[in-house]
Amino acid sequence: MSEVFLSVGNAQTIRINRREAARYLGYRGVLAPDAEALFDVCERELRAVAAPRAVWRTSPVQSDEALVTFSFCKVESAALAKNLSGCKKAFVFAATLGAGVDRAMLRLQKTDPAKAAVFDALASAAVEGWCNEVNEALSQGRQTCPRFSPGYGGVALRHQADLLQFLDAQRKLGITLSETFFMSPVKSVTAVIGIRRDEDETH
Amino acid sequence: MKLTERIYKRRTYFDGGIGTLLQKAGLPSGEMPENWNLTHPDVLRDIHLAYMNAGANVITSNTFGANCLKFDNLETMIPAAFAAMQEAKALFDGERSSVYLAFDMGPLGKMLEPLGDFPFEQAVECFAKSVRIAETCGFDLILIETMSDLYETKAAVLAAKENSTLPVFVTNAYDETGHLLTGANVASVVATLESLGVQALGANCSLGPQQMVDIARQYLEHASLPVIINPNAGVPRVENGHTVFDVDAQAFSLIMREIAQLGVQALGGCCGTTPEFIRLLLQKTADVPFSAPQKKETTVISSYTHAVTFGKKAVVIGERINPTGKPKLKDALRRGDLDYLVREGIAQQESGAEVLDVNVGLAEIDETATLVKTVKELQSVLNLPLQIDTVRASALEQALRIYNGKPLINSVNAKQKSMDTVFPLMQKYGGAVIALTIGEDGIPATAEGRCALAKTIIDEAARYGIDKKDIIVDPLCMAVSSDDNAGRVTLDAIRLIKRMGVKTCLGVSNISFALPDRPAVTAAFLAMALENGLDCAILNPCSDEIMRTLRACVMLAGNDAHCEDYIAFAAAHPRAAVSASAAPQTQKKDELPELMYAIVKGLSAKAAAAAQELLEKEDALQVIETQIIPALNLVGERFEKGVLFLPQLLMSAESANAAFSVAAQKLPQSEESRDRVLLATVQGDIHDIGKNIVKVLLQSYGFEVLDLGKDVPPQKVLEAALQYDVRLVGLSALMTTTLDSMQETVALLRERAPQVQTLVGGAVLTQDYADLIGATYYAKDAMQSVHFAKRVFGR
Repeated sequence: MSEVFLSVGNAQTIRINRREAARYLGYRGVLAPDAEALFDVCERELRAVAAPRAVWRTSPVQSDEALVTFSFCKVESAALAKNLSGCKKAFVFAATLGAGVDRAMLRLQKTDPAKAAVFDALASAAVEGWCNEVNEALSQGRQTCPRFSPGYGGVALRHQADLLQFLDAQRKLGITLSETFFMSPVKSVTAVIGIRRDEDETH
Repeated sequence: MKLTERIYKRRTYFDGGIGTLLQKAGLPSGEMPENWNLTHPDVLRDIHLAYMNAGANVITSNTFGANCLKFDNLETMIPAAFAAMQEAKALFDGERSSVYLAFDMGPLGKMLEPLGDFPFEQAVECFAKSVRIAETCGFDLILIETMSDLYETKAAVLAAKENSTLPVFVTNAYDETGHLLTGANVASVVATLESLGVQALGANCSLGPQQMVDIARQYLEHASLPVIINPNAGVPRVENGHTVFDVDAQAFSLIMREIAQLGVQALGGCCGTTPEFIRLLLQKTADVPFSAPQKKETTVISSYTHAVTFGKKAVVIGERINPTGKPKLKDALRRGDLDYLVREGIAQQESGAEVLDVNVGLAEIDETATLVKTVKELQSVLNLPLQIDTVRASALEQALRIYNGKPLINSVNAKQKSMDTVFPLMQKYGGAVIALTIGEDGIPATAEGRCALAKTIIDEAARYGIDKKDIIVDPLCMAVSSDDNAGRVTLDAIRLIKRMGVKTCLGVSNISFALPDRPAVTAAFLAMALENGLDCAILNPCSDEIMRTLRACVMLAGNDAHCEDYIAFAAAHPRAAVSASAAPQTQKKDELPELMYAIVKGLSAKAAAAAQELLEKEDALQVIETQIIPALNLVGERFEKGVLFLPQLLMSAESANAAFSVAAQKLPQSEESRDRVLLATVQGDIHDIGKNIVKVLLQSYGFEVLDLGKDVPPQKVLEAALQYDVRLVGLSALMTTTLDSMQETVALLRERAPQVQTLVGGAVLTQDYADLIGATYYAKDAMQSVHFAKRVFGR
């Protein structure tokens, strides 16, 4: 049995928090009807091109004061160590909306800047929603910690490379990294989720 | 027997996975498997030998990731990988002549432009470095595998072909929808790779053997070459809440038997499979009869997502990206405004074009560079196959090289010089070609004469190994106004040429030259040509009259199920007659004049029309100053007060832009009149939505924006600033990892172009950081960059 699990989501049903997307764009309060209509159009186009997929794998983990040791790398971060304190295992995961979203963005930026801005914000909200969906599935029957991504809490972005390699994410999801640690497809996330207690293990 | 002969005669078996076996042998998590070629050659020898004993014919080297981006010791690593295979072969006591050693190449782990930041030619060079070393070792073939991007696959194939004489086999990795991760379907992969001249192709890795059955079926439907199917043992995954695990060797071999029965020529395994899988695979497929590859006669071209097939129903090739007779497009080319060309392309796609002709030939520009840039731009936002239209050999070669898919070439003719130029390029880069029936003495007056020239071209192409299915003959049409028989001769020629078993094409609009009501004549001629068997037409898809006729003809020929396409077209394009100025405007307009109202509301078409109307009474500068700018200011104020938000601001800016370009045509043309701002996203940064928003706003205020794009090196920013004598440079960066690059760019500008002021912005920037790196100004949002630009230019 190989250790990396794959999850394929449904673009029609992934949760997209519109209020959140609107907030990214600076909206406050309730959306006006014409703005709602614009969001509707963009959301339809987004769902038509998005291909939500994710992979995950568990790693033993050990946290000291400011150092977290996974099976595949060591991360210096007090915040992450605190987040994972008391965990012996963690899920490592990567999620993406796929390259189709990037292509649609390239096109919209040439043809309709307003739609491009809304589409981008909705896609950001969508990848969050997709991560939440995967996260919830992983938390079923377990006590887990809040999701933690490189780039936050002093975890260097370069660790994205370690996570992606551990997950074989290039092969399985098509996620690649630039020299400056940009992920492609753009709407992709890597994260770790500490496992405090696993119900399965109590049996 | 050579492998390339064997694979046509007997079923060939590939080996299985290596990674799992290395892990079993103790490869620690996190260590690169390729290192073991040097440190544990005996382990690799044993793995290869185990696969030979299991019955595999093609043994692959442990070099999946052996490229110059990951390793600097390829000169020793690749020969070591080969040595372990050779040693295994020497120890093998079976039939050694049916064991072939493959040099394995996997993806580089970088996303190519335009989706990522890795240049195509650099990818070719990376693969080439590995191939050049492998070429000296003594491998029997190159296996390019697990490719999930068509463009990268092409880069690898070119590298292999340019640096080695070994046969090239290619297998791609598909997702559960039957597409590569960057969107290509099986038909487009097959079209592209067969055209590039690989020797066998197929699929590997992906989801598992069961999902591969349908992919195998699709390969057999489209491919003329031998098909290889190497699935993995499955990926554990969650489907509808249930966890699905790998298949075991037994189950694997049963599904593979089914795949063998479909008629696949070569079978093997990928991730998670072991010698046991291969042994059982041989056992379970031993009695399945071998089927030879079936050559397909279809004429097909492709983009990076899908293929377009000629012969079923008429294919529409959009003709509008061509400067001939189009002053605006000429102007756009001179200014290097490729966005204009892209919008022409998108408009044609939306009107029903299935292929786009691309011609940028203009005496005063560098055609080769422009054509390459245009093709790259078009294929970054449009998924239609392109027809590369140029008479310049260097431009044709460069464009074919960077094209992502199997292109159509426009054109070759029966003159020896033309064929000597075009066919060698086709031989190397693939593609289909439009063949014009023009000989050394011009265009023959008779249908028979044109037919004879078509034969000349087909015969000459055959000498290069170019199949006649890749030749689409255009028998040409002259203006019927200058020759009564022009239409007749062309129609006869179409019929005669079709009898030779090739496809036909026409640029139809020539026929109506110098006549009144040209669309009516062109449309009638198109209908007649289609009835005579025309396969594709180069035309203006934005012409309602012509497209209406085309849809009707397709429907009447029985190629439009339930008349759906025709009905949809008719519904979307009602006959103009009544509407136009019918409904009077009844909306309340905040007491604003028409143009200002249109801009505030973000109505582009209305803004342009209102500006046009005003310009009949007022002068352009007045329209800009009393209407366009105040409307924008009004929107800007509302944005800053938080009454109105970014998307609306952008819509208004677009509308102002539309009005502005109408007004600008009436402004006196002078070189230095417009205030010029240079924009770039800094090196290493590939997010450019913020920069693009600033661009739209600045343009709406009438600034001329030079957009250098994303991932721009500091030196290039400096050069452009000096070359175009720019006073203001705007730089954007989105992530902390690219702030250094911004600092470097600002420092370089301060040192070498102190007259330039800098404006910086982006998600992670702050006023403090802007001060620290010595930028002139920090803009927290797009409106602020407009304020600053106004200040710089004293507006």
